[in-house]
Order: sequence, then C-alpha cells, then structure tokens
Amino acid sequence: MTRTLLFAIGGLLLGGIIHIAIILLVPSYSTRDAWTSVGRFGDDNQFHLLPRAEPGTEALPYLDPGMAYAVCRFSLGKGPVRMQAKLPETFWSLAVFDRRGRNIYSLNDRSAENSTLDLVVATSVQIAELKQEPREALESSIVIENPGNSGFALLRVFVPDPTLADEAIDALRRADCRALS
Amino acid sequence: MRLLIDLVVALAIAIAVGAASAWYAIDRGRLFNSLSVGEWTAWPESGSPDADPYSGAMLARSGEVPLGAAEGLAFSADSDNTGAPLTGRCNYVLVGQTPLARLWTLTAYDAEGRLMGPAEHRTGFHSREILRRPDGRFEVRIARTVQPGNWLPIEPVDRFRLVMRLYDTPLATGSRFGELTMPQILREECR
Repeated sequence: MTRTLLFAIGGLLLGGIIHIAIILLVPSYSTRDAWTSVGRFGDDNQFHLLPRAEPGTEALPYLDPGMAYAVCRFSLGKGPVRMQAKLPETFWSLAVFDRRGRNIYSLNDRSAENSTLDLVVATSVQIAELKQEPREALESSIVIENPGNSGFALLRVFVPDPTLADEAIDALRRADCRALS
Repeated sequence: MRLLIDLVVALAIAIAVGAASAWYAIDRGRLFNSLSVGEWTAWPESGSPDADPYSGAMLARSGEVPLGAAEGLAFSADSDNTGAPLTGRCNYVLVGQTPLARLWTLTAYDAEGRLMGPAEHRTGFHSREILRRPDGRFEVRIARTVQPGNWLPIEPVDRFRLVMRLYDTPLATGSRFGELTMPQILREECR
C-alpha cells in the first residue's frame, strides 16, 4: 500500500513537470498563434490592410473595431526590414512582436513626435553592421532589435467616424514594409 | 507485475494531472500580474517579454495580439458591480469616469470573442463621440433594444464581455496618478 502511495506521489511530481513542459512548449507548437494567423493575409515583408472588424468578419480575435489595421509579417533573412508610413493626424500606434508573439517595441503618434513612421527592425548582428557602416538614409529611423529572424508588426489608426475611414485606410494601404537592400 | 501496475498508475496520474492542470491554467487565462479595478481587470504585462509563461502560452493559443505599452491598456469585465456575470438577458448601464487616457473605446464581445449584432449597428463607443453630462461623467446603456443616449447594442447571448481600451495611458507603462477609477457596470431590468 505504502509503495503504491509512493508511486502515486511520484506520479504527481511527474505531473508537475509535464505541466511546466506543456506551458513552456505551447508557444513553440501552436498553430493558432498570432504570427501564424497573420501569415494568412499575404506575403511577408509587406503591409496588408486588415478587413474592417465587423460582426462575423474579425480578422484577429479581440481587435478593437474602432481602429483600422495593417499588419506586416517580416523575415530578416535578407537583411533588416524598414517600415515607413505617413499617417493621419490622429491617434495611431505600431507594435512589433517577435515570432512568439511577445511585444518587443511599441510607439504611438505622440512618441513618434510627428505623423510619419520610420522604423527599422534588425537582428543583433545586422544592428552591429549598421553601426559599423551607418547609412545616411537611416539617420532619422528608429532602429530596434528583434530576437530571431521573424516577427510581425501591427499598425493601427483610430477611425473616429466611419466617414473618416477612407483617410486611415489610404494611409495604411500606402504603408511600406520592405527589406533593406 | 505489482511494479508494472504501480508504474502505470503513476504515469496515468502524471499525464492526467499535468495535462489537465496545464489546460486549465491556459484556458482560465492569465492568472498573474493582473490589475483589477472593481469589475474590470487588465494585464499590463501581457505580451511583454517579461510576461509569465502562462500569459505567453495563452496568447499563443488564442492568437490575440495584445496592446503594447506605448499603445495602451485593455480592461475587460465579465461581471457587473455585484459580481454577477454579464448576460444578454439583462440591460446594463455603465456610469462613471475613466482613468487618464488620450482616447478610450468600449466594445462588447460574445463568449467566443466575436463582435455582436448586425453589421450596420454600432459595435463600440469611443471617448470623442460619447454624450456626457455637464460634470464630465457619462452613461452608456448596454441593452438589446433601442435606448436613449449612448446605446451599445448587444445580442441575447448567455454571456458577454465588455472591453474598455485606454489608448496612450500612463497606466500601461506602470505609472499611477492617484486613485484608479473605472466606470461601474450596474444591472438594470432583466427578461
């Protein structure tokens, strides 16, 4: 009896280890994570306008229907990726996520200090290279480091009124996300 | 033979306990580092690189994209001010004031996280369009049928959730100014 009890306790301890392993492994094996679902909208290294969030056509879970969105899934294999956009004079923000969906950087129109977005995402090696050979064109860009080669960025623009949606959508359509050559 | 049975029992316990508790933890959602104000809860660290592994696992399963610290903070509520779950069978009124933010929006979702109502209906309110009382306070009526004033339509679902997103708020970066106040969700008549 005592022996069975010992085995049961051992089983509980092993259960604890399995619990921790599952929690830590879910992000690596999930196929429903944000990075994977963002890939549905089109090719990487390009901003894609998300359809307006309306009942039944939500592009991603729990998006605010009061905003218009564009998303760019990037891969840094061919070099750093630069994101540029000219956005309306209203609230807008950008969040950059790594492959596992962790938010590595975010900014809004106030912290960007004007209505243009100019951001370069690079790996640590690429950042070191950029520092060695500074490029004039990138002097005003914000440079951020991404752990690993892939990730995505979500750009949102506030739409105060449906009649103003076109302005936001036009700006998002023209938003640029491409590898630096 | 005894040993084999014991081993099988131990393994069965391990797998059952491990998998069930992990599933429960992920499904119940973010347990740690929450910021609660009355019936509202927010997770300022959700999605940040310092977030706990549970919130990482939950985001990976839900596919949700959390707000970054410079973007804002989302508060959600599943119950009214008495703790009773929000249901589409009742009417609610949201009254009070919000913490400091440049902009906020209020949206209702069903239990699966989908927006409710026909497409031509409004799916949310934002701070710049809301009708306010002279003292700056406001009231939003959450109901299935047309209401005067600020009306946020819902469907007769069993459970729903309200999400109030505060954009560009010092709260998201951990600063606090005085006492935090969120609007109260008061239940009115039910059918």
